[in-house]
Amino acid sequence: MTDTAPSLSPLIHLVDDDAAVREGLALLIATVGLRVQTWGDPHAFLASFDRAHIGAIVLDVRMPGISGLSLLEQLLEEGVDQPVILLTGHGTVDMCRRAFKAGAAEFLEKPVDDERLIESLQSAVRQHVRTRERYQVDHQAAIRYGQLSPREREVLGLIVEGLTNKDIGRALELSPRTVESHRASLFAKLEAQSLAQLIRRYAALVEQDTGGPGS
Amino acid sequence: MAWLGAWLLVAALGAGWLGHARLGEMQAAFETDARIVHRLLSQQMVQNDAVMATLVLLQPNPDGSAAAARRLPSVYPQILAVLARPGDALWPSPLAALLAQAQARSRSLGRSVLAQTDLAAGRYWMVQAGEPVSYALLLDLQATVPWFEWPMDAKASPVRVLLEHDGQSLVLQAGSIPERGWRYGFRKTLASPSQPFEVRAERVVAWSELPWLAMLGWMLGSAVALMSVRTLWHQREARLRAEQLLRLGQVARLNTLGELAAGMAHELNQPLTALLASTQAAQRLLGDAPPDLDTARTAMGQSVQQARRAADVVGRLRRLVERPDLAGHAQAVALPAAVQEALHLLAPELARRGVVSEVDVASELPLVLAEPVALQQIIHNLLTNALQALEQVPAQRRVVRLGLRPATGGQVLLSVRDRGPGLSADARAHLFEPFYSSRPGGLGLGLPLSESLAEAMGGHLRLAPELAEGAEFLLFLPAAPPMP
Repeated sequence: MTDTAPSLSPLIHLVDDDAAVREGLALLIATVGLRVQTWGDPHAFLASFDRAHIGAIVLDVRMPGISGLSLLEQLLEEGVDQPVILLTGHGTVDMCRRAFKAGAAEFLEKPVDDERLIESLQSAVRQHVRTRERYQVDHQAAIRYGQLSPREREVLGLIVEGLTNKDIGRALELSPRTVESHRASLFAKLEAQSLAQLIRRYAALVEQDTGGPGS
Repeated sequence: MAWLGAWLLVAALGAGWLGHARLGEMQAAFETDARIVHRLLSQQMVQNDAVMATLVLLQPNPDGSAAAARRLPSVYPQILAVLARPGDALWPSPLAALLAQAQARSRSLGRSVLAQTDLAAGRYWMVQAGEPVSYALLLDLQATVPWFEWPMDAKASPVRVLLEHDGQSLVLQAGSIPERGWRYGFRKTLASPSQPFEVRAERVVAWSELPWLAMLGWMLGSAVALMSVRTLWHQREARLRAEQLLRLGQVARLNTLGELAAGMAHELNQPLTALLASTQAAQRLLGDAPPDLDTARTAMGQSVQQARRAADVVGRLRRLVERPDLAGHAQAVALPAAVQEALHLLAPELARRGVVSEVDVASELPLVLAEPVALQQIIHNLLTNALQALEQVPAQRRVVRLGLRPATGGQVLLSVRDRGPGLSADARAHLFEPFYSSRPGGLGLGLPLSESLAEAMGGHLRLAPELAEGAEFLLFLPAAPPMP
């Protein structure tokens, strides 16, 4: 419960129409240092929760007005990337299947044991962090890749395919010196420290760009 | 309407078949009789031929033959007269010409021939040419008929028999020929070339001769049979309906129970979820170093509140489930009649399992106060349980005993006792708990439901102390106040 960096600590959204359940669960979740925002009204939650924040969402399945399942579907449609944990009073196998099919990260039965809930929340938060990081990396790589000249992209493509400078020069009818200079330039633009790093980060982008290897 | 139609069809078909069969019988009998008549008469004609042939053969001694000829009418009653004429001598008039012609024909054919017939009088002349003496016989047809061998009662028989020849006819048996009816005929020439009379027999079966009594009997019988089938059918239908109603009632109660259970699950889950969460939060807060006592206190306060909330839910539920207002609908019911009705409903089940029911009703048994449908359900459940228990024992032990007698405290007792395998100690302990069943696939709701129904009517249901064999259930119901 340290508030030194509130904007960075994960935020759990708890949506349940029962005030007592909200309070109890919020207390429990807070004991492990996770911030909780409680919502009694699913529509209010949908309209105004902070989508940018790292965290997870806990939804009660049985709520007046809108069921947790359809709320989950709306969230996914909207592209919300916070993992969703569903809570239900009496979970049938069928409902469980539907929940996972709809994209729930976890499906828990009420009353829920503290360890179960907290573990699920922590793993959901970790998952969200990873998702965001991956997105961040991909996003930055795409921006850098966009800065390359057409010739540099060609050279990069052949590097990724495993050709030497000499081979690249022959393939593109360039002198090895020119190839060497393109190579240095694209390493700098892509902020790659090694050939291995370059290939790991950009092979997928090259593939997307040229429509597949070897073409 | 369908039943009436079915009866009409069955009655008409049956009666028609009976009539047809009787007509067929009568036709067959008629034809047999006619053939016998034809054969008998043919034999007589052959006999006449033989007599004539004998006369002609006995030629050599005219005296002897004449003597034989004179004796003939006394031996053969049908022979009225014998004429003998030697050579070409003249036959006596007035028949001389006719007899002479016949003699010529006989000579050319080499057998006897008819000379003159008078069928109206039943007489005819027959001639056979001989060498040197020719003979003529006057024969009486009525006397020819062998009445002692006749296949019918000549006076009473309805068959008419005639002999016909050359447009003449002789009625041998008048019979009785009604104007309308089924007509059968027979016509055949006698098997004698010399006396080719034609036998004609006729039989008309009158409407009155049809087997009306049998037909009427059939119609009545089929009506009675169809009516009993119809009654049985209706009884079966009624029983099925009643069973269905009873089952529906139980299903409805079970459904209500199921809905209650689902509602209860949700109503209880919410406070339990909050309760569990806040107690566990408190536990964690107290385990912190240093413990966050204030927040832990808040959490415990919440726990208490939620525990109370859960208790309220349970209390509400008890009031809802355990006191259905059956006492309000109670009326005075005759327990023996209710028992009989339940036994009647289960009669096919009893029969199928070969279970015998014995009902012992104490004299002057008061009426009971009960809601009739609920009472039916309890008895039905108890009997069904007994039947299922009896499935496991040999046939001679399959008896269910029902005792109805007054009990202490203004109550009436119905005891249902089976000679089944009895109950295990475990079963005895948990019998009235919902969802406990000693039977695989059993819902375990029959007895708890019966118990709560009995209690709702101000009575109670109990298991009798352990018996040497089988089990006994005791249903106590309040007696109805005596009628003013």
